[in-house]
Order: sequence, then structure tokens, then C-alpha cells
Amino acid sequence: MNDLLAEFLRGYTANNQWAIIMPEIMLAVLALGLLGAEMVLPKKSHGLIPRLALWGQLFVLVVAMTAGSYIGFESKSYFSGMIYQTDITQFMRGFFLVCSILVCYLGHIYLSKQQLPKTEFYHLVIIISAAMMLLVQSSNFVMLFVALETVTVAFYVLVAYCRSSSLSLEAGLKYLVMGALSSSILLFGIVLLYGVAGNPELAFNSQDALNFDELRNFIALNSDNLLVRVGALLVIAGICFKIGAVPFQIWVPDVYQGSPTPVTAYLAVASKAAGFIVLLQLVTGPFMGLQGLLVPVLSFVAAATILFGNFAAVTQRNVKRLMGLSGIAHAGYILVGVIAAMRGVAWAPYAVIFYLVTYLLASFAVFGVMTHLAGSDDANQELDDYENLARKRPFLGGILACGLGSLAGIPPLGGFIGKLFLFVAAFQAELFGLLGISVLGVVISIYYYFGWVRECYFGNASDEVIHDVKAPFNMSDRVLLGALVVGTVIIGIVPAALPIIP
Amino acid sequence: MTVGLNAFLLVSGLLFAIGLLGVILRKNTLVIYMSLELMLNAVNLALVAFSRYNGTMDGNLFVFFIITVAAAEVALGLAIIVALFRRRQSVMVDQLNALSR
Repeated sequence: MNDLLAEFLRGYTANNQWAIIMPEIMLAVLALGLLGAEMVLPKKSHGLIPRLALWGQLFVLVVAMTAGSYIGFESKSYFSGMIYQTDITQFMRGFFLVCSILVCYLGHIYLSKQQLPKTEFYHLVIIISAAMMLLVQSSNFVMLFVALETVTVAFYVLVAYCRSSSLSLEAGLKYLVMGALSSSILLFGIVLLYGVAGNPELAFNSQDALNFDELRNFIALNSDNLLVRVGALLVIAGICFKIGAVPFQIWVPDVYQGSPTPVTAYLAVASKAAGFIVLLQLVTGPFMGLQGLLVPVLSFVAAATILFGNFAAVTQRNVKRLMGLSGIAHAGYILVGVIAAMRGVAWAPYAVIFYLVTYLLASFAVFGVMTHLAGSDDANQELDDYENLARKRPFLGGILACGLGSLAGIPPLGGFIGKLFLFVAAFQAELFGLLGISVLGVVISIYYYFGWVRECYFGNASDEVIHDVKAPFNMSDRVLLGALVVGTVIIGIVPAALPIIP
Repeated sequence: MTVGLNAFLLVSGLLFAIGLLGVILRKNTLVIYMSLELMLNAVNLALVAFSRYNGTMDGNLFVFFIITVAAAEVALGLAIIVALFRRRQSVMVDQLNALSR
């Protein structure tokens, strides 16, 4: 009997290759090590902990990049179908690591202005990074749910991190209620799919009904089943909550405003990117057979998202809410790319990734400037605070202008090329209506992004006493922000510098 | 007498709907919290019923993960609510609107 059991278990563990998730394991060890270091180190050397976090993550980045090359990566399934690695997931590992390194750096600046516990911030950021890497690699709904919840639960803490500010706590509560609601909706969808795909009375039922491959085969042959359709729609709705697409966008401006600025950046870039990659894998994987249903639904969502995000951002004066609302619009553009991928444009997923990279560089440039300029009252950063910034702090003003220009899609910058690729993909997929709406959205977005730039460069209060709070601004800050802008410009001029589009 | 799959699914759907309406309509954050738990438990019930009917164990296994995650969420949520109550002296949603302007 025991032999039988051992044999059975051995069948399951045959392709457990722990080496292939080495970067995630190393991140987990690093995160726990930080907590340990806080206990062990004497109080006056606690300044080492942020350095340990940063250099540790850089080390993991090097390991992750050297271990598996991105180009020509062979897709393969591991851990009895729990993990499926492709060139996209390989690339996203690096993407999330770069995000978490930047967030740790900005977090260091943010925490130096606040009276808050410090180590836990880095711990949670690293845990989220590891969980997001597993999230994009998961090819089983159990794996997907657990990784997604690890990300979300850690984000609840980070959003409410500034315990002394009731705005941060309120944002945390709102994110918590909305996040838990979206998880329940996602789960109900998963359960319906599981129930119907494993039903022994239906044709082509599967014994492993939570696996993406099995579901794909089942759904392709049962795409008319009502429960399949409802389940798939609920799953898509749950993901739409995470990426902030209309009609599930209500939480975005509030949560972005209330959370600490580095966390806002993390939510805006990494969390959204993870949501999109999961969406991409679902619609081109298990839900491939439901194209007839999902393409119209997602097209409608994308159009509404682009229009809502841009129109709501026009009148916004709080810069964090502005970034949130314009982030909704960016989610809409990326959704257009996802729909193009569903319609069979083979390189559309790579256009989405390219756009995410340009969005990362530009957003972190803007959020970096915001983190530098924010006072201890982090949630209320108004456009008026940026008046004459270029005259007071020319360097920061230049960085901000480049970042916003890239977000708006001005030609020599990376954002333009990113949008161009997405629009070409949409054109090839014959999504002309969506293309028109996207172009309209871009035109509107130029208006409000340049309202912000105008505030920096052409403020009218020239006789105002320039009360410049000289926040410490050292060489490494300059190098980091400069590198983000240089990256944006290089991608904009030589898109081939980023070898993503095959 | 055995109770059929449809009965379980009906109860589960009802619980889910009650939870969803509670989240949308109620004003007290603690009640919203209970409604969220109700939704998760509706999912659990459906999972167990499906698992039994389909004859696969994945559903039963998944329930444990959901329960664990729900426990983590509750612990965090109550901590945030308590911290917020200390600052605002209120747990009603309509008074927690400092951000929406």
C-alpha cells in the first residue's frame, strides 16, 4: 500500500524542478532575511537594511537574467502543470524585479520623511515581487489564486502603510473591500468553470479541470454552454478589477491618492502589468474558444475605459488622482492590444509588453519626482505645488517633462513607439473603431499632461518668494532618475534597443 | 434521501447574491466584511458540491486555500478597521469620504 502511494506521489513530483523557480525562492529568502537582520543588527546599523534589500534584489536580477535567456526561450510546463514558463514570463520576471528595486529606492526616500517602521516595507515589496513572478507563470487556477492573493493581501498592508494618516488607512480599507470583492467574483467564476469542465455527463470533461490546458480543450468544444460563459465572464470581471478597467475602476483614484507615493507607483505599474499578463494568458489560452463572446465585451470595456480615464483626468487637480485616472486610460490602450492578440495578431502580446516597459520608465520618472517633492503630508499633492518647478529645481522639472511627454506619447520618447506598436496591432486586427477612440484618447491626454508641464514651466507667480524646501537630493537620485529618462529616449529613437518584438 | 447538486448550487448562488448585495448596499464596514466572507463561503460550498459530484479532489483541496486566504484577509481587514476607528471614531462608509474629492 505504501509503495503504491509512494509511486503515485512520485508521478506527481516527477517534474518538480526547484531550480527553475530559483529567483522566486531567492527573493523569499531575502525578504525573510531582512526581517531577521532587523532583529539581529544593533539599532544604529539599521541603515544597512535598505542597502541589503536593494543589492540583494540586484543580485537576484542578475541571476534571473543569466539563468534563462529571454530570446528563443523554450516554453515548458513544470510542477505537474502548475507552472508554465514562456519567453513572456521570463521577461516579466526582470520587469517585476526592476519595479520592486525602484519601489524600494523610492520607498527609502519616502520613509526618510516619515516616522514609520521601515524594514517591513522592503519585506512586503519583495514578497509582492516574488508572488507576481509566480502569478504570471501559473497555469492552474489554484496556483493563480494563491499567487494573486499573496500579491493582493500584501498590497492591503502597503496601501495602509502610513498608519498615522487617516487618508492612507481609508485608502487601505477601500482597496481591501474592493480587492476582496473582486477576488470573490474571480473565485466564483473559477468554481463554475471547474464544476462544468469536470462534469462527467458532459462531453470531453476533464479530470484536472483547474488546469489551463485542459480547460482550453474543454471550452473549445463546449463554448455554447451557459455556465462556461458565465464563469469566463466572472473571471474576466475579477481581473478587470485588478487592472482598473471600466466599470470596475471606482477604487483607482481614491486608492492611488491615499497610498504612499512609492506604493502608488508599484500599484500603477507592476500590479497592472501582472493583471494584463494574466488576462493575456487567459484569453489566448483557456478562453480561446470564447472569442465570439469575449471580443465584443472586451472591446466595449476598452472603449469605455479609454474615454472615462481621459475625460475624468481633464479636470483633476490632485496629481496622484491624475496619475490614477490617466492610468485607467493607459489600461484601456493596453486592452486594445490584448484584444488584437485575441483576434490572432501573433506579435500583439509583445506589443503589450513593450508598452508596459515604456509605461514603467515614464511612470517611475514621474513618481520619482513626486516622491522627492512630497512633504510629510503625502496624499495631498496638488498641481499648484508644481508651479515654477522648472525654475526652482530645473533637473526635476526636466525629468517630469520627459516622463509626462512619454506618457502622452510625444514622438522622440518611448511612449510614442509603444502606442504606435499597439495601434499597428489594432490596425492589423481590423479594430478600426477602437483605433479611432484610442487616438481621440491620446489627443485628450496631451491636454492634461501638458497642463501639468505648463504649470512647471510657465507658472505666472514669478514674484512669489521661492520657498524651496531642499529635500536631500544626492548623486544616486540624479543617476537613477536620469537613467529612466535616458532609457525612455533611447527606446523612443531606437526601438530595437529593447529586443522584445520578434 | 440524497440532496442533488442543483440544491447546493442554488444555496451557493443565493449566498453569493446576498453577500454581493450586502457589500454594495450596507454602510457599516463590519457588515460589509461579513458579506465578503459570505461570498467566499458561497464559493466554498459550490466547490465542495462540484468536487463531490465530479468525483475529483481538486475542489476539496482548493477550499483549504480559500479558507486560509480568507483568514489572512480578515485579520488584516480588522486591523485596518480598528486603526481607522481610532483616528475617525467611525466605521460607517458614508463618513469615510475624505478621499473622494
